[in-house]
Amino acid sequence: MAEARIARQTDYDLFSPTTPIVIDNGGSTFRIGWAGESDPRIMFRNVALRPRHRSTGETVTVVGEHDPALFKYFDCTRSSWRSPFDNNVVYQFEIMEYVLDYGFDQLGASSSMAGKVDHPILMTECILNPVSSRAKMAELLFETYGAPSVAFGVDAAFSYKYNQNLGICAEDGIALSVGYMTSHSIPFLKGEPLPEGSCRTNVGGYHVTNYLKELLSLKYPYHASSITWEKSEELKREHCYVAPDYASELQIFKKGTKESEEKKRVWQLPWIPPPQEEPPSEEELARKAAIREKQGQRLREMAAAKRSQKITDLENELHVLETLLSQLEQAEQPEVASSILARSGYLSRQEIESAHFRVSQSLRKARGEPTGTVEDNADNVTSADKYPLVSIPDEMLTPDQLKEKKRQLFLKTTSEGRLRAKQKRSEEEMMRERQNQLEEERRLENPELYLEELRAKYKELSEKMDQRKRLKTNGNGNGNGNNVSGGTGRGERLNAAQRERMRLLTTALYDKGKGEDTFGLKDEDWQLYKLMSKDTDDDDDVVDPDEAELERVATKLQEFDPSFVERTEARLMQSAQEPPRPRTLTAEDYQVVLGVERFRCPEVLFQPGMVGEYQVGLDEMVSHSLRRLPNLDSSVKDHMCQSIFLTGGGSLLPGLEQRLETGIRATRPYLSPLKIVRAVDSVMDAWRGASVYAASEMFSTQIFSLQDYNEKGEDWLRRYNIVYSLYD
Amino acid sequence: MEPDVVRSELVLPPVMPFKKVQTGDKYPKGQSRARYWKHLKQLLQAENFLSLPPDEPNYLNIEAPPSMYPPKKYCDITGFEAPYVDPRTKLRYADPEVFRQVRNLPNEHVQRYLALRNAAVIFR
Repeated sequence: MAEARIARQTDYDLFSPTTPIVIDNGGSTFRIGWAGESDPRIMFRNVALRPRHRSTGETVTVVGEHDPALFKYFDCTRSSWRSPFDNNVVYQFEIMEYVLDYGFDQLGASSSMAGKVDHPILMTECILNPVSSRAKMAELLFETYGAPSVAFGVDAAFSYKYNQNLGICAEDGIALSVGYMTSHSIPFLKGEPLPEGSCRTNVGGYHVTNYLKELLSLKYPYHASSITWEKSEELKREHCYVAPDYASELQIFKKGTKESEEKKRVWQLPWIPPPQEEPPSEEELARKAAIREKQGQRLREMAAAKRSQKITDLENELHVLETLLSQLEQAEQPEVASSILARSGYLSRQEIESAHFRVSQSLRKARGEPTGTVEDNADNVTSADKYPLVSIPDEMLTPDQLKEKKRQLFLKTTSEGRLRAKQKRSEEEMMRERQNQLEEERRLENPELYLEELRAKYKELSEKMDQRKRLKTNGNGNGNGNNVSGGTGRGERLNAAQRERMRLLTTALYDKGKGEDTFGLKDEDWQLYKLMSKDTDDDDDVVDPDEAELERVATKLQEFDPSFVERTEARLMQSAQEPPRPRTLTAEDYQVVLGVERFRCPEVLFQPGMVGEYQVGLDEMVSHSLRRLPNLDSSVKDHMCQSIFLTGGGSLLPGLEQRLETGIRATRPYLSPLKIVRAVDSVMDAWRGASVYAASEMFSTQIFSLQDYNEKGEDWLRRYNIVYSLYD
Repeated sequence: MEPDVVRSELVLPPVMPFKKVQTGDKYPKGQSRARYWKHLKQLLQAENFLSLPPDEPNYLNIEAPPSMYPPKKYCDITGFEAPYVDPRTKLRYADPEVFRQVRNLPNEHVQRYLALRNAAVIFR
């Protein structure tokens, strides 16, 4: 947890072989130094990495933290930083060996001629370390490093003893050690730890940092690469605190009051403001406008050309048809007429006539004139002249004449009907004319308003048309090419009409043989076939009033509005323009805000359930420890509670004491005394205590050699415990 | 090796004069040692704590018991107290606004949130 301190020591040879080497083998930091000194010589993170050297390909070992820039020479993809610890127990002795190698090397052991580490070693371990781990560690120290003797002790106990000597805590008390992977509460009686009263929870500083790191990287996924382990550690140390009352602290943030705003902390990620874009100059603007104008002009010209092309095409066709008709008119012999017909490709005269009618209609449409059938205006003759037999009663006629009369009657009614239709049409035309006139007047009166109205109308109509088209072509408006062939492929959606058709077909299929077949009794039944037929949606030849209106408005606009561009073309133009630019990022986008996280992460220590460890929290641990000591008098327990001692890197969080006090008080009898103290230096005191311990004269009584170990065996090592109150 | 790597003493030298057994001899090259060590769980099993007298403290029995207080449920996203659980993602959430956020989370993030409190589905 503390800063690394790495510099190869040169005074190794000055120490006599009796001076013990003290190692605080902590979960996060490895500290090594000489007994009797106030500070460890070397400290580094207790991790090792085995990357492959890029150029030589050999696997090398790197221990502790280093300048990240140096790792460019190594391929670190196949290895990761590894700790020798599983929870708080050393289990990977290969990694441990690398770490020890590095520690001894940095202490200067390489310069000695002894060929081994010829000093007694005092090393810290967790309380009640499993004997296999302890034995392996002893083996490693004896066999690989040739240490003459070894002693193991608990870091929290060394810290407690060190502070006891300083008068911070009393003889009887409880050490509450918030470690890296675990937290312990260890009761002390007469200066000695009571392992039977110890309590361990598997949460520690690691969990706080990891929780913070994960929460922040999930909150800011785009900054995840910046939220490294080291940065999270730093943020934790700088900003995290323990809430005095978690629920009410949450409430403050939930309400979002001013107080919570003040409690928020911001970490500004490195951010370089983008180069300020100069507003485009007049010239630039003018140039752009000119380009746009030119483009618009070109499109308008294109549209006009297209339109005139269409008109001339239609006119030509009309002309051809007219000549064809006149030729047919002039042809007396049916053979000639049929040969003309054969050449023209039409089947009959009627067909030509209908084609003529259609072409002339679409010509009118293209010109923007109101559609109306061209009527032969040869109807000047009065009906009496034309149909002389109609008014004569039947009795006066010969059978031939009767037949003729019938024909004339029929002709008369139809022509009269046509006349009526024509009248109606002309009336409509009059109306339209009047409307046109009115419009013209309005235009002259207020051209701008008029144009505005026209534009609005155009927009509305074209949107309507678009909508209709989209409905017709399968919903995917722009048509992604699926519908070009007209067929509907697998997995494509059917439009409403197609769906209806499918429904009709399936119901027809499944209704077969169900009950009495009454199909065809009613005339409407036959209508079904029309609905079922595939080309019901081909209503191209029916002139849609909206379409006609749209056409009309478009022509008008084309006439009066110089800036008018038809919609389809406008769309083309738009796609040619640059795509919309994303919002420029500001400094705020590079901020990581710590709000609830500031106290949510340390809360893990009090509610380990938040990280899935359903164990008691720090405050409850104390009462559990006391409960595990049933033989102790309650007055002794009261005494112990007056010296609750906080140590370990994780205990540096501000607000921890206050929270612990409320928490522990809740589990203690009413008005029982309680005092919580902090270690002088929560991080370094374990090593310092061990250093003092190793330097004391009685230390030699606590060590054991390889020979002792071999003679006494594993069971002895299991029960091996040093006596801490040597130097009181 | 590059000069700046050598200067910084980044790499552990393969031979240490103070060692009686060198790493290279102990862990010969090319030999698999993936299972050379045991995890803590296996280590503890090998300890055979059950055969030891139960009143004697050991690594296992000093472990803290579950809390007396019922575990509180907190929103996985915001950290506020969470009365609700999303049945689809199993994430806890504090209010409807967070719920919207929950439903918009990619599955990977959902799993990471769940993993934070050890509730993620682990496929083996």
